[in-house]
Amino acid sequence: MVGAQDRKPRARERDPEPAANRWRPSQLHPATLSLLFVLAGLLWVLCVDPLLARWLDAAAQAPKPWPSALAITLGGMLLYWLLQARATSARQTQDLRLAEFIEQITDVAFIKDRQSRYRLLNAAGARLACRPLAECLNRDDLALFPPEMAHRLLEEDRQVLAGGALLSCEHTFVLQGDTRTFLSTKWPCRNAGGQIIGILGIARDITARKQVEERSERARADLESRVRERTAQLSAINQDLERQIAARIQAEIALRESEERFRQLTEHIQEVFWVHGIGEERTLYISPAYEAVWGRPIHGLHERPLDWLESIHPDDRARVQAAHVAKQCSGHFDEEYRIVRPDGAIRWIWDRGFPIRDDAGHVYRIAGLAEDITRRKLAEDQLRRQQVELARMARLSLAVELASSLAHELNQPLAAIVAYTQACLALLRQDHADPRVLTGPLDEVVNQGMRAGEIIRHLRELVQKHPAAQSALDLNALIRSVVHYAQLELRQAGVVLNLELDESLPAVLADDIQIQLAVLYVLRNAIEALNEKHGDPRVLTVRTARMDPERVLATVHDTGRGFSQEVEAHLFQPFFTTKPGGMGLGLSVSRSIVEAQNGQLWASANPEGGASFHFSLPVHPDT
Amino acid sequence: MPHTPTVFLIDDDQAVRDAIGLLLQASGLAVETFASAADFLEAGVVQRPGCLVLDVRMPGLSGLDLQKQLRAQGYRIPIIFMTGHGDVPMAIRAMKAGAFDFIEKPFQGQILLARIREALDLDSRERRRQACRDSAAARMALLSPREREVLERVAEGQYNKVIAAELGISLSTVEIHRKRVMEKLKAESLSDLIRLLALLNAQS
Repeated sequence: MVGAQDRKPRARERDPEPAANRWRPSQLHPATLSLLFVLAGLLWVLCVDPLLARWLDAAAQAPKPWPSALAITLGGMLLYWLLQARATSARQTQDLRLAEFIEQITDVAFIKDRQSRYRLLNAAGARLACRPLAECLNRDDLALFPPEMAHRLLEEDRQVLAGGALLSCEHTFVLQGDTRTFLSTKWPCRNAGGQIIGILGIARDITARKQVEERSERARADLESRVRERTAQLSAINQDLERQIAARIQAEIALRESEERFRQLTEHIQEVFWVHGIGEERTLYISPAYEAVWGRPIHGLHERPLDWLESIHPDDRARVQAAHVAKQCSGHFDEEYRIVRPDGAIRWIWDRGFPIRDDAGHVYRIAGLAEDITRRKLAEDQLRRQQVELARMARLSLAVELASSLAHELNQPLAAIVAYTQACLALLRQDHADPRVLTGPLDEVVNQGMRAGEIIRHLRELVQKHPAAQSALDLNALIRSVVHYAQLELRQAGVVLNLELDESLPAVLADDIQIQLAVLYVLRNAIEALNEKHGDPRVLTVRTARMDPERVLATVHDTGRGFSQEVEAHLFQPFFTTKPGGMGLGLSVSRSIVEAQNGQLWASANPEGGASFHFSLPVHPDT
Repeated sequence: MPHTPTVFLIDDDQAVRDAIGLLLQASGLAVETFASAADFLEAGVVQRPGCLVLDVRMPGLSGLDLQKQLRAQGYRIPIIFMTGHGDVPMAIRAMKAGAFDFIEKPFQGQILLARIREALDLDSRERRRQACRDSAAARMALLSPREREVLERVAEGQYNKVIAAELGISLSTVEIHRKRVMEKLKAESLSDLIRLLALLNAQS
């Protein structure tokens, strides 16, 4: 039974091994089997056989039992031997297989003694140590592996030896430059007495698995972080959407409010807001102000679309109707017209329309605003009347100023008349026989009397109050007559006057008295400018020319001192003057006169010094 | 040959010029007419005896400008200005500058004629006085420096004795000088001498 004793620790050693090694669970020990065989044979020979023989053949002689029992005992011994032999053979075969298996596995398998020296090591272990197996045996880890690794392994060994328990742990070592991870399991090796005599161990290289694990770990972490990112994105998008939705709701509320406000606006503003549908050829919407401005009900407009046109003053109707037709194409409308309210009152309307286009860009509606500008128009009329009045006032003040000059001018013929007459008287008193001598002086008296009358007639024309009446006007003739008024001033200022008048000039459409006045003011301004200048030349040039097909241009060019830029900015401002005692009205009145006649008046500095004043007037349409 | 006193009439208005010219001629005055101050100056008649009748306002050189120019050149010919209505400031300026008179158009011929005659009288008187001054100055120029010194002291009323002491000469020498001065200046008496000196001083 020594073998059995030997096997015992082995079996214990095998305990941790997988169940596959207990591959005959029903196996009975050969000794037990042989003993059972012998006992069964003896039982049969001693008990069953005599009974059987008696029952079957009572007559038969009972056989002798001893030889049979001896034979059975011998047979049992033979059986035991056979079975034992077979079991040994099987065990040997199993040991060989086990050794082979241990050698073949890729895991490192080893047995160490208490001093941690390798007593057994498989090929994988030797490969790990990079040495032949023989060199590894009876050496400890310090001799085989790098110090750091060796110390860790020895520490484990000490734990296993001290604790007597299985120890399983993972190690990562650097071996020959490679980082490798091992899962090692160690447990104590005990003898039959249960004393720890060494360490059994197995170590598996799990580097690849570890790497896979790490990769998968990384992949998982990566995935997780991406998921987190994506989640964050999604939540941001979600928030954004929420905000958008909130904004849209707000906008909708605002739109509703704005529509409400628009409705309130259109229903409360004084201007009439309207929308006209082109296809329908009717007014789609018109704000309630219509009733207030037009004095007509809105429903009347919806029933009879032309009600609107009928309300327009007869003088403006044709023009507005033409514009109304034109707006159907262009979508644009901008007209000022008068309307006659049912109570007979006349209102001025400024009506503007703007196109509304569909997606294709076609104008399908026109939206517009009609404004009651009666008050503004009246103010404009008032202003125009004031301007006319101002012009008349200026004309009067000019006349008063001119009166002194004209008195002087009148004194010339009067002085001549008196002198001629007294000369005649003197001649008569001298008993001059021939009265024919007197005819010459007396003719002169007549001429001078006529001359005085002419001067007075001009004066009367100048101050006469004319209503503004535009007519075909010969600008050249007008300039000549104005120059005549200014003759005295020209003479007194010692000014040389050049007239460069374009004789082919067409007639202009303007009020002659008003333009005369403007020309006179401009001329006087130039004469005064020349008067301020000391020394020659004092030259004044008046030119006329055709500016373009619609306008003629007159220029009054002087060789005076000109004007500075500061003065230029104020030239046409009322009550601005550089002259002592000047009113500062001449040029501003002239400009308003010329502009009232649809012309323009402006000034420029001459490159050679002095100033030029230019005014344009419209050509009479019949020429 | 001495000129007869002439009325020089300047007016840019031909009718006025002719009418007044005719009136003056009919009244027996010598008249020469000019259309402008410049024409008058160019004619070279300014030294002749007579008077000027001028319109104040004229293109180019005005009446006042001409007056100023003539006075600056030392001509003392009397000037009568004619003017239109309401030229009071101009009249004042003209009178301050030494115009003879200022008449407003239209005027009575008699008034103009009267003023012209007065002006011509003034001119001839002036001319006579000027002639006296000229001859006195000519005689004065004949005196020697010593005689001039003696004359000054005599005019101051100093006695011959005092003059002799001041000038460091003898009394008889003073008397000789004094006699020569009287001869050269053609003075009859001391009062003649004083008058002559006053005339000369008035000129300067």
